[in-house]
Amino acid sequence: MGTFIAIVLAAVLTNNFITAKTYGICPFLGVSKKTSSAAGMGIAVTLVMVLATLVTYPIYTYVMIPLKIEFLEIIFFIFIIASLVQMLEKIIQKVSPTLYGAMGIYLPLITTNCAVLGVTELVIGDMSKIIGEAATMNIGWAVLYALFAGVGFTLVMIIMSGMREKLNYYKMPKALSGFPIAMVTACFICMAFMVFSYISL
Amino acid sequence: MNLLEITNQTWITVGIVAGIFAGTALLIGILILVVGKVFKVNVDEKITKILNNLAGANCGGCGCSGCSGFASKLANGGAELSDCHVTSPEKKAEIAKLLGIELKDEEPTVAVVHCNAGNQNCEDKFEYKGNPTCASNASLLGGNKACSYACLGCGDCKAVCPENAIEVTDRLAKVDPDRCISCGACITACPKDIIDRIPASAPIYVACSSKCKGKDVMNVCKVGCIACGICAKVCPHGAITMQDNLPVIDYTKCTGCLTCVEKCPRHIIISRKVIAEETPAETA
Repeated sequence: MGTFIAIVLAAVLTNNFITAKTYGICPFLGVSKKTSSAAGMGIAVTLVMVLATLVTYPIYTYVMIPLKIEFLEIIFFIFIIASLVQMLEKIIQKVSPTLYGAMGIYLPLITTNCAVLGVTELVIGDMSKIIGEAATMNIGWAVLYALFAGVGFTLVMIIMSGMREKLNYYKMPKALSGFPIAMVTACFICMAFMVFSYISL
Repeated sequence: MNLLEITNQTWITVGIVAGIFAGTALLIGILILVVGKVFKVNVDEKITKILNNLAGANCGGCGCSGCSGFASKLANGGAELSDCHVTSPEKKAEIAKLLGIELKDEEPTVAVVHCNAGNQNCEDKFEYKGNPTCASNASLLGGNKACSYACLGCGDCKAVCPENAIEVTDRLAKVDPDRCISCGACITACPKDIIDRIPASAPIYVACSSKCKGKDVMNVCKVGCIACGICAKVCPHGAITMQDNLPVIDYTKCTGCLTCVEKCPRHIIISRKVIAEETPAETA
């Protein structure tokens, strides 16, 4: 139970992917103008994170380690995730056109997004990279971490988009309106999330 | 098993790594191909053809999510071709041929703002210091203009216009008829409902939306319609009728003689010919 809480807290709050690790900044700044699209992006990223971890973790553990080709992990993971997203897009288009209409445009955008690649890189080996203790890793924890990393990502996306939507209502100096104020907003969100880093797991 | 310790020679090691990647790429390629074959989606060719003939403005004026949504709705019979105001009549004829329906004759339309008040002619009821959008201004006692039918001039229509056809000067929105594609985005966005479509060839339009009686309009606006009915009387073709204290123009009867424009004591029937005569090709 302790490990479970530690993983969830680390993924969502203390080591949030956007605010603490600065992964996935492109969707964070690019798709956060509207809450609906930000939520869609967050769900798509979460789905791809979980699926990518489900595929790459066994491949790393049962294929790459026995063959002693661990040093090829980044390039291999990019290979695998990219093709996985390709297949996922086709499957969703066939199985659920409604879901494809809502999420389909985001899937090609996050083919090997740094946040997705980051999850798959962090969960291999032991848990020291996630919760700071050298506990043994297994696929269950890996998928759990991927799921909650996605939840944390979605959370920050929704906070950001909500603030940007509200900011539209205020008169802004010309030099600040648009993208510059989005950067300032991002800065404040990251500072707010720094508070969570004092939680000791 | 250590793949890389098969040989000590560097170039063979490189070859092995390259081989691993080639093998993986081949495997993944075959996998994607298989998935692609199994989950193939048959895209309706008709929809693609319809989409190619649509204007592609993605303005959302038809109420669908972009032109592709409209195309699939057209193919399923869920939408009418007349819902799209952007596509040219020639292209619409092509689509009608594809759909196997007959195209009704439609005249191209443009949007106009039925108000001519601005800051000079209509004063403010109170000072408004809220969000600079018409929607939030209108939610406070119907906006801060003295006339409750006046253009608030905060530019909600300008913000949604996909063609930048709307200019807001002196708190009055004006539509540039040359740029307007009649998508209807501004008509939906306007909280006062004072933007409407008129035929693109219309010689005149009424620049007031006030349904109030003459005296009430006199009190708040220098150029509002006072419902005197002179225009309806002087029109030699009977094209103007009075409805709800406002003149309604029947554009099928209007010949563009501009008698009403001359006789209107408030100058709110505005001639659009002035715009047309600037271009030498148009001689009315």
